[in-house]
Amino acid sequence: MLRRVRLILWVLVVVAAGAAALLLLRGGESSSSSETEMATLPLGGPFTLTDGDGKPFSSARLNGRPYAIFFGFTHCPDVCPTTLARMVRLRSELGKGPDAFDIVFVTVDPERDGPEEVGGYGKLFGSPVIGLTGSPAQIAQVKKQFGIYSQKVDDGAGSYTIDHTATVLLFDKQGKFDSTIAHEEQDPAALDKLRRITA
Amino acid sequence: MTRLIFLLPLLCAACTNGAAAPNLKPSEGWARETVPGQSSAAAYLTVTNNGTRPDTLLSVSTDVASHAMLHSTTTAAGGVTRMRHLSGGLPIPSKTAVELSPGRTHVMLSGLKQPLQRGQTFRLTLKFERSGEKRTKIKVLDPQAAGLQEAG
Repeated sequence: MLRRVRLILWVLVVVAAGAAALLLLRGGESSSSSETEMATLPLGGPFTLTDGDGKPFSSARLNGRPYAIFFGFTHCPDVCPTTLARMVRLRSELGKGPDAFDIVFVTVDPERDGPEEVGGYGKLFGSPVIGLTGSPAQIAQVKKQFGIYSQKVDDGAGSYTIDHTATVLLFDKQGKFDSTIAHEEQDPAALDKLRRITA
Repeated sequence: MTRLIFLLPLLCAACTNGAAAPNLKPSEGWARETVPGQSSAAAYLTVTNNGTRPDTLLSVSTDVASHAMLHSTTTAAGGVTRMRHLSGGLPIPSKTAVELSPGRTHVMLSGLKQPLQRGQTFRLTLKFERSGEKRTKIKVLDPQAAGLQEAG
């Protein structure tokens, strides 16, 4: 029995080493300017979702405008409002007005978040936040385009919460992925990136 | 005899604030305003233990939501955040102020009976392993103002 466990562990070690080597190789091939793993993937691209008024929202509306996109859900009590409040605050600290860049919030919970929910949520922060939803298939597609992971988890109170990528993705006005703002990243670094995409 | 009765509260104060007891004080409770349809919210506060014994915050309850639980948020590699119930409670070491703050630890309120409106305050009851129940007030703030407070 013990031998078998040991064998399995060794197999796992070999698999992990192989995966690490593959990642290193792939990393080496890609551009050296990438600051995160995400930057090596082509992120973004056109999409059509539904806005807070229930109208179709085409990503063409973001053409020529830098934007920060964040995926979350309105029942998320902690990380989502904290991140959106922070983005609004950073936009204000940037000192270029609320038009400097768009803040886009896409739900990863289309079953519970309809247009009304994302619209209301977007208005919560005292400065424009574009709240978007869509069909589960549309959301799955957009999540894929932006490299977003999400997974429903039982919340122990008869409902569910969602583990999800809480990184903010920044796009420049050409619609090109620039960088990310991580949940734990300090303000000065985040502001530098925002200055860059709004330059 | 009357004098003895008068002394009783003093004796009790001595037993809870004595050298070998936790001395807990919850403060600075706040939560963000919510919109209709939003069934959950987070409440944040500071629990200060001025005593010389540690204690554990076991559970929380409130009238404004059907469930209140202690949750921690962790961020894994790749920026994936996870929220989990602190089933073993939250340790409050002696001579320490434990902060429940955005992105770390919070009181998860689920099944909100009504949207939380800015300016409103509500009660939260904290149940500690050693110190029993303590009540505190949670103030509902403008979501953006709350964001500003987190600066730094």
